[in-house]
Amino acid sequence: MERFEYPNDREAVNAARARALEALLIEKGVITSDTVDKIMSIFATEMGPFNGAKLVARAWVDPAFKNLLAEDTMAAVEEMGFATKGAGAEGEHMRAAINTPGVHNLIICTLCSCYPWPVLGLPPYWYKDPSFRARAAREPRKVLGEFGLNIDPGKEIKTWDSSAQIRWFVVPERPAGTDGFSEEQLAALVTPEAMMGVAIVKPPGI
Amino acid sequence: MKLQHYLGGLEGLDPISLETRVFVEAWEERIFGIHTAMMALSPQLDLEATPSTFNTVWTWADLRKGAESMHPFDYFKFRYYEKWLGGISGYFVSKGYITQAELDARTKAFLSSPHAMPKRGDAEVDARVQKYLLIGDDPKRDRPTPPRFAAGDTIRVANPKSVDHTRLPGHLRNKVGAIDSVYPDAYTYLCDTGPDGIGKAMPVYCVKFDPEALWPGNTEKNFTFYADLFEAYLEPAAAS
Repeated sequence: MERFEYPNDREAVNAARARALEALLIEKGVITSDTVDKIMSIFATEMGPFNGAKLVARAWVDPAFKNLLAEDTMAAVEEMGFATKGAGAEGEHMRAAINTPGVHNLIICTLCSCYPWPVLGLPPYWYKDPSFRARAAREPRKVLGEFGLNIDPGKEIKTWDSSAQIRWFVVPERPAGTDGFSEEQLAALVTPEAMMGVAIVKPPGI
Repeated sequence: MKLQHYLGGLEGLDPISLETRVFVEAWEERIFGIHTAMMALSPQLDLEATPSTFNTVWTWADLRKGAESMHPFDYFKFRYYEKWLGGISGYFVSKGYITQAELDARTKAFLSSPHAMPKRGDAEVDARVQKYLLIGDDPKRDRPTPPRFAAGDTIRVANPKSVDHTRLPGHLRNKVGAIDSVYPDAYTYLCDTGPDGIGKAMPVYCVKFDPEALWPGNTEKNFTFYADLFEAYLEPAAAS
């Protein structure tokens, strides 16, 4: 059936069509020849998981900051001096879900791909894939197992579906073997996947 | 009923993709950028006017209306940004910015040889796009009415008419949950969804569900499901 078949030139046509659309929009004065590149450079420098990693590292070294992050996430974010301050597209209202020895948090968006851009940047492919969105809602332990993360049956899993205007991220637990680490050293250990709840932060060197 | 609204809990799907890249083909970042520029230049925002010729509204809701109106088999057939490319191209054609013939001809030209991209545009356009990204579009407003529910209340999720766009996950319709927390103030939505019920400023709640109530006998233990839901989607549990 044609509905289930892809043309052989699927990606070449997609690429040409995207380029054609961008060229026409530049010619028609909708966007400029720099617009898309400038947007991507903002995600490379000002809005990305490097911000989230700094938040997590600060929470690990400063218990008062961790409490603030849990109770009033945007006030904590504002203290960090990011270019987006206490705002930013897709991050006007964010909430942090804090992992503890008894609770593991997972963020999902069953309707599409809501994601906290100012602190995590843009969502990886797996987060947008229908299989993850469907399955993580009902069988998170099995899904996390496929990511290589086996959560103790005695630990509660909390799944947060981003269905309104609030965007969620996870604050993972600090790994062992990091006593005396600076915030910068700690931030370097934090991955986007750990801030979405499909990974934990591994001790250095593992 | 639209399958796109009912992904939560769907069975029989593939193993999880472990692809961590955002863009799996180089062209995908171009359509992402075009969409983001459209949101930033959309005229309902309270930002400085620019020389951009973009003068029609475009928000996430418009992108989602396209995805939610697709044949459900096509929704699963096409990759995430393929749906964007189709929806956004169709929008520019339907609003008269470009014609389908122009787009097809230019696509054909780019397919046959690597033509250079045009170089032009006013820096004010890009300045507005940057400003939008850094400040966003705050949906928070003063509360027009006090919240109808308080933390701990038992609610039943409403089952409104299915329309072209919703923020109500299908797997929660008609289900009973408990208010976990009431968000401060009230939130608008990007468009008025009519009989679906959202758009104007209203309280938003974090609602807690027992997965056993959502998928009886077919979920996991020691697991709690939370969703952020607009007040229009909630009814007192006793009313049903």
